[in-house]
Amino acid sequence: MTVRAFTIIGLVAFLLIVLVPFWWIASMSFKTYEQVQFATSIYVPRPFTWENYTVLWSATRFPLWLRNSVVTAVLVTLITTVVASLAGYAVARLRFPGRELFASLILVLYLVPPALLFIPLYRVLAELGATNSLAALVLSYPTFTVPFCTWLLIGFFKALPRELEEAAFVDGATRAAALTRVLLPLAAPGIVASAIFAFTLSWNEFLYALVFIQDETALTVPVGLNLLIYGDVFSWGQLMAASVITTLPVVALYMFIHRWMVEGLAAGSVKG
Amino acid sequence: MRLPRDTGAAVVFLSPLLILVVGLIAYPFTRAIWLSLTDKLVGYPERFVGLRNYAYLLDDDTFHEVVKNTLVFTAGSLVLKVLTGLAMALVLNGVWRWRNFFRGLFLLPWITSTVIIALTWRWMFDAFPGRGFFNSVLLDAGLLRRPIAFMATPAGAMAAVIVANWWRAFPFFGVSYLAGMQAIPRELYDAASVDGAGTWQRFRHVTLPGLKHVLIVTIVLSFILTINDFNIVYVMTRGGPGTATQVFATYSYEVAFNQLRWGRGVTISIFLVPVMVVAIALVSRYLLRERE
Repeated sequence: MTVRAFTIIGLVAFLLIVLVPFWWIASMSFKTYEQVQFATSIYVPRPFTWENYTVLWSATRFPLWLRNSVVTAVLVTLITTVVASLAGYAVARLRFPGRELFASLILVLYLVPPALLFIPLYRVLAELGATNSLAALVLSYPTFTVPFCTWLLIGFFKALPRELEEAAFVDGATRAAALTRVLLPLAAPGIVASAIFAFTLSWNEFLYALVFIQDETALTVPVGLNLLIYGDVFSWGQLMAASVITTLPVVALYMFIHRWMVEGLAAGSVKG
Repeated sequence: MRLPRDTGAAVVFLSPLLILVVGLIAYPFTRAIWLSLTDKLVGYPERFVGLRNYAYLLDDDTFHEVVKNTLVFTAGSLVLKVLTGLAMALVLNGVWRWRNFFRGLFLLPWITSTVIIALTWRWMFDAFPGRGFFNSVLLDAGLLRRPIAFMATPAGAMAAVIVANWWRAFPFFGVSYLAGMQAIPRELYDAASVDGAGTWQRFRHVTLPGLKHVLIVTIVLSFILTINDFNIVYVMTRGGPGTATQVFATYSYEVAFNQLRWGRGVTISIFLVPVMVVAIALVSRYLLRERE
């Protein structure tokens, strides 16, 4: 009885803790400027308005930032998926000197914090002429997405049965054929999950985008949001509407991989 | 010596990763070390100054405060994450229906952009416009007469950034501990009950020892991320009021990009390297052993 009571009280408490901020975002995004400023209808927007969404869409640079975020995240995801799949497969399956060292190196790289690299990386990118454009982000984001996704995929490839590839080799298939016809279909769920992680990491990234890009037309959403704050004046309604629009795609993607992701988390293989 | 037959393929498969690692991680890192030994100001050529940046910071009152703030921020949010993570795991472990649904729902903060989280919590703590969430609730409950500007005091601002950082990460702890609890064999609990152990004693002597591994991994991983946090502090307080919430990453940014002193800015983050090396070595040992 006491255990059951504890569970119910705990469940309600955690539901409140998790959902209140989300509800705050959603409810504020449907209020007029006056409703926010004068604290009328604080908890539920009355009247309910789409004003923030239409203003955000037609009178700010938000659509452009959204496009930049999509372009960056898609390119970073493609690069990451190719590089990490190749490397993950090699470390999991191939025999070569220094294999163990490689596995450790990838793990160490995935733990190197961006806060350590942003200043020298800025100089390197400036010398390449890549700052102030999305190229800076497409080049720099793989520094954290690739080690992370490689680490995930090593574990994933290791868990696949080795016999299937060996059977393909015995049947006279080349390595390339064995990889694309036999292993790739089996590995698809893991590769898709790692691609979604790469997309999410890139979608939410802030520090590099803030440092490497000054041009307002080349910004991504997380940095652009801060431009909706004019000095001390916060366009809270628009900010919250932008937050809703930005969060929904990630939530949708995440519903696909939730189960797999929880297993990955449980193995301690995901940053938190 | 003959190399194993896969060596050629491995070189091909690993070369994209190697190019990335050398060009965009290792090389910038060596540049960071070099920069920290110069007086590089934006717009001027750098001059070698030896360890002068390090000496300057060791003597700098603001930097001392940054170290203290970072420790308070990291320790405070880690303690909260571990405690609420354990509570969340115990609650979910007791849920008899829809456990996966609740687990997924509770993970939502963890996939949401930290910038959005920081903006939202900043407003929830704010006193105006239109009173934030906490002021609204406290006023409506009759516990307050006038709104309090939580974020305007040093302690309030620190509490606010800790709460936002905690809220983002505690679901990760909860889900990890839940998985750890489910891996503990039932027989251990049964045996403890036979020996007359109560609920608390079973938790203390069966659950906690069974979670030792996952406790260490989550704490060290989160320590690495929290001690380097930039987003939450930058968006919520810009390190203020004054320097009350200035942490390593935000101070490094402030010195490098607002004061334009790159050499000194880089040196601030290099002070964390030894700590990172120890933490990464510790957590890698656990994670690599898991993969065996």
